[in-house]
Amino acid sequence: MKKEDTVKLISAEGMEFVIDKEAAMVSQTIRNMLTSPGGFAEAEHGEVTFPEISAVILEKICQYFYWSLQYSRGKETEFHIEPELTLELMMAANYLHT
Amino acid sequence: MEKESELIRRCIEAACQSKESVEKWRRQRRTLERLPSHLSQSLLRNLLRRRLLFPSLLEVFKYSVEEIDLRGENSVDGEWMAYLGAFRYLRSLNLGDCHRINNSAIWSIVGMTSLKEVDLSRCMKVTDAGVKHLISISTLEKLWISETGVTANGVALLASLKNLSVLDLGGLPVTDSALNSLQALTKLRYLDLWGSKISNQGALVLQRFPKLSFLNLAWTNVTRFPNLSALECLNMSNCTIDSILEGNGDKAPLLKLVCAGATFMNEAEAFLYIKTSSLSLLDVSKSSLSRFGVLADMKMLEHLDLSSGTMGDDSVEMIVCIGATLKNLNLSSTRVSSVGIGILVGHVPKLENLSLSHTAIDDVALSYIGLMPSLKVIDLSNTNIKGFILQPSTESHVDSTLTALQNLSYLESLNLEHTQVRDPDLHPLSSCKKLSHLSLKCASLTDATLHLLSSLPKLTTLHVRDAVLTTNGLDAFSPPTTLRVLDLMGCWLLTEDAISQFLKKHPQVEIWHEIVQNLSTEHQTISNSLSTSQQSLKGPQWNKKQGNLPMPEFFVDQRLKYNREELLALQFSPLSLQSPHDAGSVTPNV
Repeated sequence: MKKEDTVKLISAEGMEFVIDKEAAMVSQTIRNMLTSPGGFAEAEHGEVTFPEISAVILEKICQYFYWSLQYSRGKETEFHIEPELTLELMMAANYLHT
Repeated sequence: MEKESELIRRCIEAACQSKESVEKWRRQRRTLERLPSHLSQSLLRNLLRRRLLFPSLLEVFKYSVEEIDLRGENSVDGEWMAYLGAFRYLRSLNLGDCHRINNSAIWSIVGMTSLKEVDLSRCMKVTDAGVKHLISISTLEKLWISETGVTANGVALLASLKNLSVLDLGGLPVTDSALNSLQALTKLRYLDLWGSKISNQGALVLQRFPKLSFLNLAWTNVTRFPNLSALECLNMSNCTIDSILEGNGDKAPLLKLVCAGATFMNEAEAFLYIKTSSLSLLDVSKSSLSRFGVLADMKMLEHLDLSSGTMGDDSVEMIVCIGATLKNLNLSSTRVSSVGIGILVGHVPKLENLSLSHTAIDDVALSYIGLMPSLKVIDLSNTNIKGFILQPSTESHVDSTLTALQNLSYLESLNLEHTQVRDPDLHPLSSCKKLSHLSLKCASLTDATLHLLSSLPKLTTLHVRDAVLTTNGLDAFSPPTTLRVLDLMGCWLLTEDAISQFLKKHPQVEIWHEIVQNLSTEHQTISNSLSTSQQSLKGPQWNKKQGNLPMPEFFVDQRLKYNREELLALQFSPLSLQSPHDAGSVTPNV
């Protein structure tokens, strides 16, 4: 995997998640950060830090990105969400516009 | 409101899965406090819908929810209110039709500082004592207390709520002196006084509300009142109208005028002071209006309801004068015939919605209707339409008159209930590609109808009532993928097996039929009382619609199917002798 095709998402605790750029683009917020012409620092380094999102939630978010890609390509599987994660995940989704 | 994202929707669904899932997150207090209000409101709404909300659970929302809608929830009582009283940022509280709400329940919201809107419509246990609690909430801007137990004395107390801009007092015995004491409410924009005891004398006070733009005086004794310079919407239904808005100053910029069921003492004078040129909606259904010359000036009119009035072919010229802007025209139960429809052709370029039910129009009208290019919704129920015109020379083969409808490229909804159209004449409909709603009700329709309609690509709702549909016919029917509701009420040949087979094959379709209803009634009685009360209140549409249908033999208990009034009405009309047309005239047309 080439570095240009990936993006690094960093959780509040500093945990790093390297995922495909294509998957990260599922989030409208990340898409804007990476593509806006003004050149966010994020766009240059391919790194986004989320001081409000914990590692557990960010991992779930990454799983959702990949699930969502597959779903849009017609692969219909369930995306399970543990009830105890729902509130935090909801807020993260709200922030990420996903 | 912003549309929820897919992931948020899934989170809310997972959070409201069961009692157990609620327990998993309800202790996450700090997260709950940080929830943006639109998310917590959405969560709350879903909990309510899933019957998972109970008073003590409300507490977790007290820092995040700004709006709460509990309309029609029978379980909402003083205990719920005790929790709601602690909602720090609550701006809007809707308790309409919550029958257990009483004065002491309202005590819980005394002195709330952010509350701006309270709806207590039809909370019958709320009386003047409740109003005393309400007036402690000085921030109130909108208040609905129609059909509560509040009297004129209670209404007079509202004068201290100086910020009120919307006040609904519908169905309350508001007197002239009570209205007089509300003069201080100079911010009022919306005032509903239907069914009150206001007289012409009391109506003079209305001039004291300089911003009044909406006024409802339906079912009152008011026959005349002075000019209100900001008035945009006026409802005088079921009133006797002498002269309205007479006086100096700018004429009211009236946009909507509803005079359904009104009696005009002097037709020439009734509209004399109204700026008719700005009107966009006029409803004079069931009214005594007999001279329609006044219509000619209404150059901005978009919605015109003349149903159940005296309109006939001779006055259609008046509609022609204003046809250029018309979008909705209701002529049902008038004396208009096919000739009148012919006069309209070419003068109603924007007409989208046309109702001609219960008129004497016949198949000739269809050829004219086909020339009204913007039509989307057409109601032709209870007319003499047959689907063909017999021509003596070509008796052997006649074209369906419905062919004319193929010209209407925007046609979305068509009602042909209680007409004599039969299977072969329905053929042209199969090329109406935008048709999404179709209503048919005729004892001579057969399986061929279903087969024919399976090719309509946008069909979502299909009513085929009282038809001779067979088990095989239903089995062979492959509905368009868009179909959601299939109404087969009164199709007496269908068996329970046939219907459940169909439902299994097409789970996205909801079937309305007497059998399905039996099944769901049984289901309801075994489910807990909470959800039963809920279902009976908000009940699916067909509960209301199934009223006056001819009855299949297998129906065991008649009391299940008819309510008291309907049973009483049936005493005098043996159904076996009733022609479909008569049955239709019993059903109020909506």
